[in-house]
Amino acid sequence: MYLIGEFKEKDAVAAAIRRLRASGIAPADLDVFSEEPVEFPRGVLDRPSRMSLASVSGAMLFGSLATAFIWWAQHNYSLVTGGMPVFSFWATGVITFEMTMLGAIMACFGWFLWESGLVRKRDRTAPVPEVDPGSMCLRVRCRGNDAAQAIDAMRTAGAIGVQRRGEA
Amino acid sequence: MEHRWGMAIDLDRCTGCEACVVACHAENNLPVSTPEQAAQGRTAHWIRVDRYYEGEFPDVKVKHMPVLCQHCDDAPCEPVCPVYATYHNAEGLNVQVYNRCVGTFYCANNCPYTVRYFNWFAPEWPEPLPLQHNPDVAVRPAGVMEKCTFCIQRIKRTKENAAQEGRPLADGDVLPACVQSCPAEAMVFGDLNDPESKVSRLAQHGRASRLLEELGTKPKVFYLQKVK
Amino acid sequence: MATAPELLPYHQIREDLFRPLSRVSRRYLFVTLIAFIVGTAGLVAWGFQLRRGMGVTGLQRPVFWGVYIVDFVFWIGISHAGTLISAILRLTDAAWRKPVTRAAEAITVFALMIGAMFPIIHLGRAWLFYWLLPYPNSRLIWPNFRSPLLWDLTAIVTYVTGSIIYLYLPLIPDLAQLAAHNTPWRRRLYRALALGWTGSDREWHALERAMKLMACIILAVAVSVHTVVAWDFAMAVAPMWHSTIFGPYFVTGAIFSGIAALVLAMAIIRKVLRLEVYLTKHHFDRLAKLLLLMSLLWLYFTLAENLTVWYGNDPKEMAVFGARTRAHYAPYFWTMMFLNFAVPFVLLGIRRLRTITSATVASVSVLIGMWLERFVIVVPTLANPRLSSASSFYTPTWIEAAITAATFAAMAMLYMIFAKLFPIIAVWEFKPHPQEDD
Repeated sequence: MYLIGEFKEKDAVAAAIRRLRASGIAPADLDVFSEEPVEFPRGVLDRPSRMSLASVSGAMLFGSLATAFIWWAQHNYSLVTGGMPVFSFWATGVITFEMTMLGAIMACFGWFLWESGLVRKRDRTAPVPEVDPGSMCLRVRCRGNDAAQAIDAMRTAGAIGVQRRGEA
Repeated sequence: MEHRWGMAIDLDRCTGCEACVVACHAENNLPVSTPEQAAQGRTAHWIRVDRYYEGEFPDVKVKHMPVLCQHCDDAPCEPVCPVYATYHNAEGLNVQVYNRCVGTFYCANNCPYTVRYFNWFAPEWPEPLPLQHNPDVAVRPAGVMEKCTFCIQRIKRTKENAAQEGRPLADGDVLPACVQSCPAEAMVFGDLNDPESKVSRLAQHGRASRLLEELGTKPKVFYLQKVK
Repeated sequence: MATAPELLPYHQIREDLFRPLSRVSRRYLFVTLIAFIVGTAGLVAWGFQLRRGMGVTGLQRPVFWGVYIVDFVFWIGISHAGTLISAILRLTDAAWRKPVTRAAEAITVFALMIGAMFPIIHLGRAWLFYWLLPYPNSRLIWPNFRSPLLWDLTAIVTYVTGSIIYLYLPLIPDLAQLAAHNTPWRRRLYRALALGWTGSDREWHALERAMKLMACIILAVAVSVHTVVAWDFAMAVAPMWHSTIFGPYFVTGAIFSGIAALVLAMAIIRKVLRLEVYLTKHHFDRLAKLLLLMSLLWLYFTLAENLTVWYGNDPKEMAVFGARTRAHYAPYFWTMMFLNFAVPFVLLGIRRLRTITSATVASVSVLIGMWLERFVIVVPTLANPRLSSASSFYTPTWIEAAITAATFAAMAMLYMIFAKLFPIIAVWEFKPHPQEDD
């Protein structure tokens, strides 16, 4: 089942998360909904990310592919122009750079879509709270017998309201 | 061995009569321009005669210099064409492929000799000039860049004839229209790879120099003039 | 730093910033109609040019590049607005950029789209423009990647892709809020574009990380794009084009004209959408100082280029230099100097004179000046080639003027449509974070 706690203070949310994690609830079962991004101190609810790595890898890959393609195309259809060599890295280096950047852009965007969960298969049963401006909602997924403890943890941390959703 | 076509023009013989210009027009299906078009800078003369004046009347000296595509070995016009409409062929000619040209104008901007010409409109000829067209040469459509080709159609035709007759090409066999028509015999065309050809010997002459040589374009037209 | 609008209640902010999306005023329809007419005139002119040939322009040997290339460089230059404001200020965490980022990013995307039309418009056989693209074809040939025009192509494709993504990413949270809009077709549009954004912390973290990465990438791309456009000229051997300074010079000029375009756009938005509380004197003051700084930097590069040419006294370059400063193109050159330096220096340098109105006037002055700057770079060099027997003049025709005007109309129209569909100030970025320490 899902519990949705509404908070007005960022510190209250952080306190609630600490208590819930102490009682054994995994970060994967916790979600904070808000209308603006909320910064928690390190260690509260970290979401490790591979986005920079993905971006750099995508960049290197695409840049190399593009340069290899140019090398192949210049040899596949090779004409002499202005005494320049058939393939010269510097004559086409700009294209290598641009394609590296394009690779970074596409990898970054693609990874964002994946990491944010926007294009992943969604769990339709998970309720999405309607967040009032200025509030934050903490959604906890837990089993029925843990619910009471979780509700208590959130109330103590400072929730202004807690709802139950879904079956136990 | 491959041919390497080049030209030598003797400026001390050139009288500025412009027979070469007319012959080029006739041979290569160049359009005729009206006076208005000429005033607008829209004429196309693959070879033109530049005049340089020195001194004041009555002691004026004129130098006539026929300027045509120099078929540079390191042509600046070639690498900048995005569609390979201009490239360097194995015989040293700077080739212009009309079908491939999209009209980016970059080659013309990069040519230091300003010898490239554009077809601003579809070319027109007043009657009965269309009857005089050369069937060996394409008529270019609007939007395409063109320039002197060293009469590549004559080079090809002469090579084919020589091959059919089973003999090698002799020096002086290939005559572009301008070279053929010069009454002062100021222009010489031939194979620079053949050390015995007239053009090779003239190229080594003390009077020989090239236009805008300092740019490193390696032009293949040698101008002979008394060095001052 | 807390400025007045951030003390407004949330619902007021949301109402103010979403209000322009729901009504279409008579003035809006009128301006759209004018833009449509001007745009259509431009299209007709282009159609005429395609039919008859490039001879309908004022181009002639040896001036093979004219107003279209000037327009191309101009619009690509304007596209640097978004990048500077959005990316650099985002990376430096400058708070004052918040109401300005989306307006700037929108300018970038639309200016790029318009600028990218010109390499097609200026072609002699424009219907064959796709031959520059590397695709397997029946002619079995590939394009020539050594050509700076191919570098242009890759740079602009990359920059367009990057800036559309960079505009779209921060738009997603606002789209999710707008998905409750009352018009059915709009609801569908916003919901589709919002990709099911729920506002969870996973999504926010991913978004912020992506924004930070994209800011770095887009900055590198923006610098490279205008450098590559500059290299269209610098790689040529033409006198006064073949200059090593062109890369940085053009990037500086681009940022300069970009900021001017942004100030103008913001001044119009502020008046028309009644956002005086959100786009304050404070923002214009900061932007005005940036504009002044870029004016000085631009002056530095212009002086460096012209002084070295003049002192070096190379005859071919001096012919161009003389044409620019003393002869035929002198009116354009000195007007440019006045509009790009004198006007901004006085209006923005003297604190008493630095107001929102004077900043707008200075921006318009800079925009005209920078167009003239591109003209003065492109045309005099081509008109004075190395073999002076070929020198000539260039006078644009009504076709070129109509197409140029149409691009301004197109920019206005695209921008107005954007401002009607999406909030021009990023609502989520603008609201202070919950309990953000000021």
